[in-house]
Amino acid sequence: MTAWDAVVVGGGHNGLVCAAYLARSGLRTLVLERREEVGGAAGTTELLPGVRVPALAHTVGRLRPSVVRDLRLAGHGLSLLAPDVRVFAAQPDARGLTLWADRERSIDELRRWSPADAEAYAAFDARLQRFGRFMARLGGATPPDPKDPRVADALMAARLGLGFKGLGRREGRELLRVLPMAVADFVAEAFEHDTVRAVLAVRGVRQVAMGPWSAGTTAWLLTDSDAAQAGAAGETVFARGGPGALAQALASAVRAAGGEVRTGAEVAAVTSRADRATGVALADGEEIEARAVVSGLDPKRTLLGLLDPVAIGPTLAWRTSNLRLPGVVAKVNLALAELPDFPGTGAHHAERLGGRILVGATGVDDLERAFDAAKYGRLSESPLLEATIPSLLDDSLVAEGASARHVMSVIAQWMPYHRRDGSWDDPGERDALGERVLRALEAVAPGIGALVVARQVLTPLDLEREYGLTEGHPLHGEPGLDQFFAWRPFLGGARYRLPLDGLSLCSAGAHPGGGITGAPGANAAREVMADLGRR
Amino acid sequence: MSRHYDAVVIGGGHNGLTSAAYLARAGWRVLVLERRHVLGGAAVTEEIVPGYRFSVASYVVSLLRPEIIRELDLPRHGYELLPLDGTFTPLHDGYLWRTDDHAQTLRELRRWSRTDAEAYEDYGRLMFEMAKFIKPILSIVPPDPTSLDPRPLLPLASLARTFQQLPREVQSTFIQLMTMSAADFLDGWFETDPLKATMSASGIIGTFLGVRSPGTAYVLLHHYMGEIDGAFRAWGLPRGGTGAVSEAIASAAREAGAEIRTEAPVARIRLQGGRATGVVLESGEEIGASVVLSSLDAKVTFLDLLEPGALPAEFEADLRRYKFRGSSGKVNLALDGLPDFRCLPGAGEHLRGAISISPSLDHMERAYDDAKYGRWSRRPYIDIVIPTLVDPSMAPPGKHVMSCFVQYAPYHLEPSLGGWDANREAFGDTVVETIAEFAPNLPDIIVGRQVLTPLDIERTFGLTEGNIFQGELSLEQLFFNRPVPGWARYRTPVRDLWIGGSATHPGGGIMGAPGRIAALEILRSRRPGRRSRAA
Repeated sequence: MTAWDAVVVGGGHNGLVCAAYLARSGLRTLVLERREEVGGAAGTTELLPGVRVPALAHTVGRLRPSVVRDLRLAGHGLSLLAPDVRVFAAQPDARGLTLWADRERSIDELRRWSPADAEAYAAFDARLQRFGRFMARLGGATPPDPKDPRVADALMAARLGLGFKGLGRREGRELLRVLPMAVADFVAEAFEHDTVRAVLAVRGVRQVAMGPWSAGTTAWLLTDSDAAQAGAAGETVFARGGPGALAQALASAVRAAGGEVRTGAEVAAVTSRADRATGVALADGEEIEARAVVSGLDPKRTLLGLLDPVAIGPTLAWRTSNLRLPGVVAKVNLALAELPDFPGTGAHHAERLGGRILVGATGVDDLERAFDAAKYGRLSESPLLEATIPSLLDDSLVAEGASARHVMSVIAQWMPYHRRDGSWDDPGERDALGERVLRALEAVAPGIGALVVARQVLTPLDLEREYGLTEGHPLHGEPGLDQFFAWRPFLGGARYRLPLDGLSLCSAGAHPGGGITGAPGANAAREVMADLGRR
Repeated sequence: MSRHYDAVVIGGGHNGLTSAAYLARAGWRVLVLERRHVLGGAAVTEEIVPGYRFSVASYVVSLLRPEIIRELDLPRHGYELLPLDGTFTPLHDGYLWRTDDHAQTLRELRRWSRTDAEAYEDYGRLMFEMAKFIKPILSIVPPDPTSLDPRPLLPLASLARTFQQLPREVQSTFIQLMTMSAADFLDGWFETDPLKATMSASGIIGTFLGVRSPGTAYVLLHHYMGEIDGAFRAWGLPRGGTGAVSEAIASAAREAGAEIRTEAPVARIRLQGGRATGVVLESGEEIGASVVLSSLDAKVTFLDLLEPGALPAEFEADLRRYKFRGSSGKVNLALDGLPDFRCLPGAGEHLRGAISISPSLDHMERAYDDAKYGRWSRRPYIDIVIPTLVDPSMAPPGKHVMSCFVQYAPYHLEPSLGGWDANREAFGDTVVETIAEFAPNLPDIIVGRQVLTPLDIERTFGLTEGNIFQGELSLEQLFFNRPVPGWARYRTPVRDLWIGGSATHPGGGIMGAPGRIAALEILRSRRPGRRSRAA
């Protein structure tokens, strides 16, 4: 038996980022991944022979530039593709609203919808850039713990304070004012056209069990804007080879730094002795000792699934069981015989389809209605879809001679994990979900159904079973104001250290939360290194 | 030169009267100007049906600050609070009845759920701890977080120290209360649906939010804050209706030397050299004053009573996006008998407290869904009290008055409905029908009915958009953002013009706190060593 300095449970992207940093600091680091491939939900799946699609997440634009730089991911094979188009929001009546990386081009586009909104866009975009930069700074910080103030907290506060001051007094006030707001109100303060509002608000409800009228959705929009240059149009950056290529690059970085990555190794439990984590036990009975155990799983799975209930005690168990992870996201992957026709794209057909394609972002209340269904455990009649056709930019996804020409990755919401009108296990439910999504697509891309060569449908329950996401929540917990910063996942656990000595959390369940950022992994690594006397 | 006062208070609501009393007690010559023929604003008692007296708008006393009761010696001026014992929630197939008798309530809860009965005790204890911590916030002047002056931050710093010393559980609960929805918060504690629905109702009163909207949990605390005040009893029915509270405060003000005029509507605030120097009445009469204090809402104060251009452009822009969004209506019924509930027949003790039409969380949330899209709730949440059961003087012998607070009734109806004037009686019918589902005899015992829509509330009480709290109590409009970021300290950009109604911290309800704090701030600003008192 070998003793490790650190064992990372779960080879999702955050686990790998954390492991790479740990290994680079000279710690003997082992990553254990249950599945045969690393990446978790940020992977690439083979849909047909020679046809590969993003498993769940499809864009990686929020990946921290510092992570790419520090871990030299380019050298490990990561290649990022950023199209000029950011988002194309398909509308009924063969219309569409496109936002581009180029602000002026977006403004030209908006003029066709509302001259006043075109006028307002530059200031709004600049504001989101500013706030996004502050959120990125916040995302890099280790949150404080009011019960246990440390010198590092004061430094962190000073750094954040500087960033806050840098916003200027008025913008600082504005940031504090808008954070808890409903995103519907936030966009309505700047824009008048309902469709424009919906397209700009939509990232505030991306993958969450909230509608645009829910308070705090502006905080999520700003968090989603922490990608470099995201601004009002949002990020659309692809990894060549799909998100799995990012995971491969990270795994390669771990190994290059002397760490080990084992796949097909399911951790069954975190072992502990005298209130201290001592290592892990695998499902096959093997025990692995380590000075530090770092979990890349969500906090519920970590604390309730891997720990002895006696070790965490009834209060923590109760608090953990109350963490909110109501998954509402389903995934549909399509192999297409050819590029579908979206009449709303007009000119520049292929160019407009190269970023995120939104279906259902027609008006703010339309989004809210789609969300309403989920509150009562029903599926949205007119779901919100965020689709990409990564094969437009990335020729590595579809092999020459394969039976499809393109792949389409569709993230659909609101499809609640907790249903009242049936069970995801009922026969036919998976297909019905696929049909529902295709109907919504067909409405803006007539004929797309006939182009489908193969289809993969992942219900929220599938996401839980396949990728270990509790309740199918891709963000490891709602990014609501109640699970934010110093209280994500809960107060006293936000410093990446969980209430069992030697056990840390490096997943999206920790600050700054979900999405492909690598930030929780990098932050957690910093704390684990401090605990193990590295730096 | 017209008559000159040290201070003119615009608006004879309970906050304006409270301010006047405090200023007069400090030796100031004070004049209160009330537009209507009665004092009290929304805290008013009027004889709507001959012989039947109603607390027309505000109907219970919530958290009237004990220091005000004490300092103004209100009991001597006729203030008496009668107990409102318990909450009765009728259901289609049963009922839930909680009373002030703790043991009986636990027995009742056990009938529903043994674990809920157990949790109820822990919950009560925790909330009591919480309320003790929160209460001081109701008495402080909000600091400006972007200010360089550290002094106003001191009360906050002491609060932060107190917070740090709280047990972890209390800390976590505080964060949850400030950020969660009432339903999510209660879901963590209880399983009995009608219990959660009824408790969550306090979180939505007067707001355009649903029980599942983040930010609604906080108000759950208010109930427990009242308990702390103990002997002063901060919750209940005032003898003589809520107008009697206003009358008592007015009497205290008069005794201290304040002058109070009714039917004296203010047309505008007089400005000279950029400072407020008095008011001009609609009659043309001019009244000079060194200080003008408005207890009206921010829109009326700044946009209706000031001449255009008097305000900095930035302030005015902030003001124009301030949200009012009245969401509630009131139906006052004169009865010649008592409602007979099918689930618990007879005129028992259950009618002496609040009767809450809140059978399930879904009922509450669906009521909100209707309002989101511009309709009054088809099946609203209704909070009913029958004051005559504890104060028979409100109606002829054997007769009763019934006060029904109704939510939701959005101020802005969907255009196709044709406005509130065309829908007033239909709305009243909805309310009566909803109650009649539980108490079928109700329609037969009604001898008089007054329906107040949000439009009526605006017209009668001067509350913009019928918002009973002078502005939506959403997170971004609280504390240092109320009413305008940077102007939460009762001062305004116009020198010598102050604002001190529910539009300011800590907001609405018959609390008196804003009126008191504003008056104390004015007095503090004029102390020797500060800016000299203007002549």
